[in-house]
Amino acid sequence: MRDEKHPIHALSEEEHARLAHLVMRRQAALSLRVAAVFLLMVLGLPLVNYYLPALANRPVLGFTVSWLFLGVLFFPITWALSAYFIRQTDRIEAECADWRAVLGIEAGEPLEPEGVGEVKPAFIETDAEKEQE
Amino acid sequence: MGLIPLLFVVLITVITIGLGIWATRASRTASDFFVAGRSVNVFWNASAISGEYLSAASFMGIAGMLMKNGYDALWYPVGYATGYLFLLLFIAGPLRRFGAYTIPDFAEGRFDSPLFRKIAVTFVLFIGLFYTMPQMKGAGVTMVSILQWPYWAGILVVGSVITFNVALGGMKGITIVQAFQYWAKLFAIAAPVFVLMAVFGGYHTNLEANLRQPAQTPKLSERVLLKFKGQRDAPANVITFPADEAGGSLIFPQGAQVARLSSARTLKPGERLIPLASQHGDPTFEYLQMERNITLPRGGYITTYPMQVIDARGQPVMENGKPVRAPLRIEFAEPTEGYLAAGAAVPNAPSNQRWIEPFGTLSGKYGYPLLYTYSLIIALVCGTAGLPHILVRFYTNPDGRSAKRTTMLVMVMLGCFYVFTPVWGALGRSVMPQLYANHATDTVVIRLPMMLGSPLLGQILSGITSAGAFAAFMSTFSGLLVSMSGAMAHDIYGKILRPASSPEERLRAFKVSAIGFGAAAMLLGYLVETFDINMMVGWAFAIAAASYFPLLLIGSWWRGLTKYGAAIGMLSGGLLSLAAIVTSMLLDKKILAWHISPLVRSLMEQPAIWGVPLAILVMIVVSKLTALHIPQDVHRKMLRLHAPEEMGVSKDYIDR
Repeated sequence: MRDEKHPIHALSEEEHARLAHLVMRRQAALSLRVAAVFLLMVLGLPLVNYYLPALANRPVLGFTVSWLFLGVLFFPITWALSAYFIRQTDRIEAECADWRAVLGIEAGEPLEPEGVGEVKPAFIETDAEKEQE
Repeated sequence: MGLIPLLFVVLITVITIGLGIWATRASRTASDFFVAGRSVNVFWNASAISGEYLSAASFMGIAGMLMKNGYDALWYPVGYATGYLFLLLFIAGPLRRFGAYTIPDFAEGRFDSPLFRKIAVTFVLFIGLFYTMPQMKGAGVTMVSILQWPYWAGILVVGSVITFNVALGGMKGITIVQAFQYWAKLFAIAAPVFVLMAVFGGYHTNLEANLRQPAQTPKLSERVLLKFKGQRDAPANVITFPADEAGGSLIFPQGAQVARLSSARTLKPGERLIPLASQHGDPTFEYLQMERNITLPRGGYITTYPMQVIDARGQPVMENGKPVRAPLRIEFAEPTEGYLAAGAAVPNAPSNQRWIEPFGTLSGKYGYPLLYTYSLIIALVCGTAGLPHILVRFYTNPDGRSAKRTTMLVMVMLGCFYVFTPVWGALGRSVMPQLYANHATDTVVIRLPMMLGSPLLGQILSGITSAGAFAAFMSTFSGLLVSMSGAMAHDIYGKILRPASSPEERLRAFKVSAIGFGAAAMLLGYLVETFDINMMVGWAFAIAAASYFPLLLIGSWWRGLTKYGAAIGMLSGGLLSLAAIVTSMLLDKKILAWHISPLVRSLMEQPAIWGVPLAILVMIVVSKLTALHIPQDVHRKMLRLHAPEEMGVSKDYIDR
């Protein structure tokens, strides 16, 4: 079905591994970067509360600094983080959509030497069998 | 309370049934039933996820917990809403791209292990049933406080309406209902707040009052009739008056059975209590001599002033240069009611400073406030990312990209809702402190509007919040019922019991399971009347955090995970957390009488801080030991989890 349009299933196991590794590494780097900012806030605030109570409990606009941050400002900050993440992840996905470019293969270049290509139908069959299970 | 709140509750129930029937007409195929045909757009899907997520605990429990515990409880709304960021960063996209219907599909597809499907499906049912109990309890309790209906009546109404909707329309039937219910809940939590703030002062004004007089506790502005619980509801039958505050007389018009009257301060050998100057001729001290099993006659009274402590030589006991005051503690044997005088300090309320500053009554309970806070944060953030009835919703997105957009919109919708819940808590503390005495802070959203001068306006606003609360029980319960029935019909019946069954048979199995689980949930709800709503929700979160969250996180990002590692890690994390929480509850209820250090006790009540790392560690160690069992095509699987759709590697388990 899709395999005719997307000859990606014909890639060798090593190329699959390399492709998966490349795609995941870029996405993981982004996720970890955003998560680090979030964790810094969420795990850092209790430390501020604990070790700098004078700062945390200072009144501001009727709230305490800590209450204003956690009870009000925290929500929009996480929205901003997720908006940033989505913009970046879209960019990464757009760049990764062309797997040939990710692997450094030029478009139109034959995937595998002739003859080895016969492995292709066999693989599709096993995939279909799995689906039936 | 009255007719108007009832009308609002009836209205939301009728709309729920009507929308369900209307949506059902479009719900025909198996795919419609399980994942709403994968055709729900981002806005409606986000509304539906938010509607499903905002449960009894969110609608009533958080406002109540905030009123009770102050700052510490802020972590609940923040954790509930921002847990979705973790879901967005690590799980939402890969999970949808993998193309499985349910978490058990993921478990089997990722590790090629039918056995793992069985383990995963057990957890869906387990977490689901734990999470339905508090919804049912919320429904029962609300009907008790609105209409004085018996406890089971609310359960029966919510239970049967939703079971009917789910059995009729499946996932598609409830998607539109849940989306509508999100907006109903947002209106119900937000609109009354503006009216209340106009009358009783703004959010910051009510918080500021706590900052100005840090040592004080809330006082009654007028004489109030308080209801007290009996030993059946222990530990909620105990009331403790503040140590540094004005007391007053507590008169029992129908008399009272007191199991124990004592000082909340544990007296050292030789120490005894004497009345302060104003208390001479007060019968309270005779009762204190009797200590246990005291019968107060009709019209009998106790004064609630703190007492002076003197040592063996008759000298006042001093601490930090001030004479020590011993607070009065009453443990009721039977339910009763009593009038507490105007100006008297309310029992059970923390002081203003303890309330508004971090590390108060919630996290400071066992003396390890920082540890408790961190464990709570981990449970909330990781638990949110591992709740099966929420995760199943991600499969209703057309692709991984829209799954991520949905998650972000959910965070915005939830934030808009949760930012209002602390306002209720702050207003409740200054306007209706008598709820502390009743251990009834959970009902603040329902009862606070009644404090408005105009009874009509009060009834209307209370009607709106009651309807919102009902929307909360109904939408969360319907989501749980879909995920449990789906697991039963799709995973157990369709994949394990009768793999050869036709889609029609599976659809019938779905309907039958919906009715079965609906009945089971109603029965369980009836049995948990004395349990605390937030406590039960905490169980579900802690189990999800230590079982599904590590499975999905590690399963999506580490190719070395084997089925043995995943299954053993998930089981050890989930089951040990469950065991710790249940033991902790038994200790609370005094069914177990072990002596456990406060540190261990704190770790048992909030197990996420060790449960989540334990599950992850076990997964890694066992996987390393069983590395031969890494699936052959693991790279293809990883690519399917992470590659954008355009690459052409994703596929759906069941064709559209």
